[in-house]
Amino acid sequence: MHFVLQLIFSGVCVGAVYALIAMGLSLTFWTTRTLNFGQGSLLMTASVATVALLGAGMPIAFAVLLGVLLAGGLMIVAERIAIRPLLKAGDSMGWVVSTLGLGIFLQGFVSTVFGSQAIAFPSLVFDSLDFVDLAGVQVSSQYLAVLGLSLTLMVAMELFLRRSAWGRAVRAVSHDADAAALAGIPVRRVIVLSFVASGVLAGIAGVMVAQITGTVDPGFGFNLMVLGFVAAVFGGMGNTAGALVGGVSLGVIEKLVGGYVSTAAEHGMAFAILMVILAIRPQGLFGRKEFTKV
Amino acid sequence: MHRRSVIGLIGAAALTATIALSVGTAAAQDSIKIGMTSALTGPYNEYGEGGRRGVELAIEKWNAKGGINGKKVELAMLLDDQLVPDRAVQNMRRLLDNKDLVGIIGPAGSGPTLAVIEMAAADGRPYMNPVAQTPTVTYPTPGKPRPNVFSFALQNDVESTVLARYVAKHFKMPGLVHESTAYGMSGADMIDKELVAAGSIAPVAVESYNQRTQDVTAQIARLQRAGADVVVCVGLGADLAVIRRTMARLNYKVPLVASNGALSIPYQEAAGDLVVGTRGSMVYVFGEDTLNPAAQGFADAYKAKYGADRWWGNDPQRPQIFMSLSVSNAYDAADVLFEGIKRANSTDPKAIATAIEGIQGLRGVNATYSFSPAKHHAIAPEDVAMFEYAKAADKIALKIVKE
Repeated sequence: MHFVLQLIFSGVCVGAVYALIAMGLSLTFWTTRTLNFGQGSLLMTASVATVALLGAGMPIAFAVLLGVLLAGGLMIVAERIAIRPLLKAGDSMGWVVSTLGLGIFLQGFVSTVFGSQAIAFPSLVFDSLDFVDLAGVQVSSQYLAVLGLSLTLMVAMELFLRRSAWGRAVRAVSHDADAAALAGIPVRRVIVLSFVASGVLAGIAGVMVAQITGTVDPGFGFNLMVLGFVAAVFGGMGNTAGALVGGVSLGVIEKLVGGYVSTAAEHGMAFAILMVILAIRPQGLFGRKEFTKV
Repeated sequence: MHRRSVIGLIGAAALTATIALSVGTAAAQDSIKIGMTSALTGPYNEYGEGGRRGVELAIEKWNAKGGINGKKVELAMLLDDQLVPDRAVQNMRRLLDNKDLVGIIGPAGSGPTLAVIEMAAADGRPYMNPVAQTPTVTYPTPGKPRPNVFSFALQNDVESTVLARYVAKHFKMPGLVHESTAYGMSGADMIDKELVAAGSIAPVAVESYNQRTQDVTAQIARLQRAGADVVVCVGLGADLAVIRRTMARLNYKVPLVASNGALSIPYQEAAGDLVVGTRGSMVYVFGEDTLNPAAQGFADAYKAKYGADRWWGNDPQRPQIFMSLSVSNAYDAADVLFEGIKRANSTDPKAIATAIEGIQGLRGVNATYSFSPAKHHAIAPEDVAMFEYAKAADKIALKIVKE
């Protein structure tokens, strides 16, 4: 019992991070029908910047804030140079390559400045020895914090999208950008906003995962971006509940397979799920089929 | 007038070329030239630049005592490959095309080394491997070394033997966890075999993880459930830190015993105080309480030339343990090459290789070296010890585990 609870708990926590990344991917998908495949590098850049600022003697809260904002700021650049020009070319899928390219550039830049070896990331609030006893299971405080923060952010995001004027504008743009423009919605600004929010979510996810691993390096983040993408497809691209359910189920399935089948099989689970879901339910668990009216 | 000046120019050029050629030949006659490609710059120059310094120090030592059989030694070609295999291949081509070179010092890692080793083996001139851990660099088939290749690296199989012997002696139910690369898988395989050979039971569980994984809860929980009384890991320092932190999160209080990544800076920084109790295998020469005379001589020469820098380590009084795999390994490689040339009294590749194979009981910095036609690697299990992190007076230090 103890063993399975440990696995499920870690799966839920890791899955919550996947969900956060999936949420970030969904945001830009809503407004522009594009995905930022450089998201993994943003995660990494935010956490490396945080380490660098902490090393320069900046207080923790300030360093994390600046690191996360940097990721948001970089998304403005991503939108401006890797997405907007390519969307002008009609149905071009060029953004897949250009966002990936931007991510590789960031990786190269960071390894030139900081080297490609792992850099230690300090424990910010809890360290790995802190735990809470829940029904006889030792539950790591770091994992619990990751879970709590991810859920809070997702709920806040959902409320923002449903209740605030900007949130409604995002949904209007996702529905029909031309009609939204006619209704006086500043479509351009809504798009940029969605990119910044996506970058901020990626940055927060990066700092949280760095707490768990204890190190960051230029390659950090790519794997997570892929898992976040699988979570988004699994749950249904562009759906908050879908991202959450997709992320958490992916995390739990991975850990259970790792625990009961083999840890070598754990690594392949995400891709197995991706193939199955694309074959039998391409719109994802919570997605609705898209129809194009002629 | 015009034509005459052209003829004059051609004449001058021809003359210059002749002089240059004759100078070249003369130089080839009165010095012994070697070539080297390594990661002199880039993120891995810890090993490459360190290796260059080792080779330079060895050359200075030999030249100070009059060179090899009266000829000065010279590092005539020094090329930078940044540990990139493609670049190492280009560099090796340039080195091998230079017929003046008597011996070659190879790149600072398995990737570029595996890319160049066939070329170097086909060429036949003595090739010294300072860093690459993969045994196939030197032994394409077990027990049969490439005739011209000699290794001064800590080979994977040697490392695994030391780990397995230690584990078999001290623990009853070892659990293995390794990265899913060739290094991790072959290392785990060798430990598994050695454990059985050493009379211990087979590991109670063997788990794998991808390099730079974010979470190893399933792996560690399985080892814990299987009742492993020690976690044995083959992997890099940063991943070892994730493993150590996960063990702490799962309240799994058994020792972590690991390959040389356990002694690396990324592990120490990322695991923090959790390193206490972790054990790792490493060439022990710089971990001894009193350095042996050869190591002391090398350390003094290094400090005099380069000072107590990052290759030296934090303690100005004594060099760090890792120096045996970043500087003194290349120093010994060059030293043994020169000893071979001296004994052969010739620059003929076959004669030098045979002379090196005849070396017995030569005291180097890292170990005492004996080679044979069947043994071309320098570091044996006897030259490697287990280290343990211990905390004394609020300072964490590495100590050799006394058997």
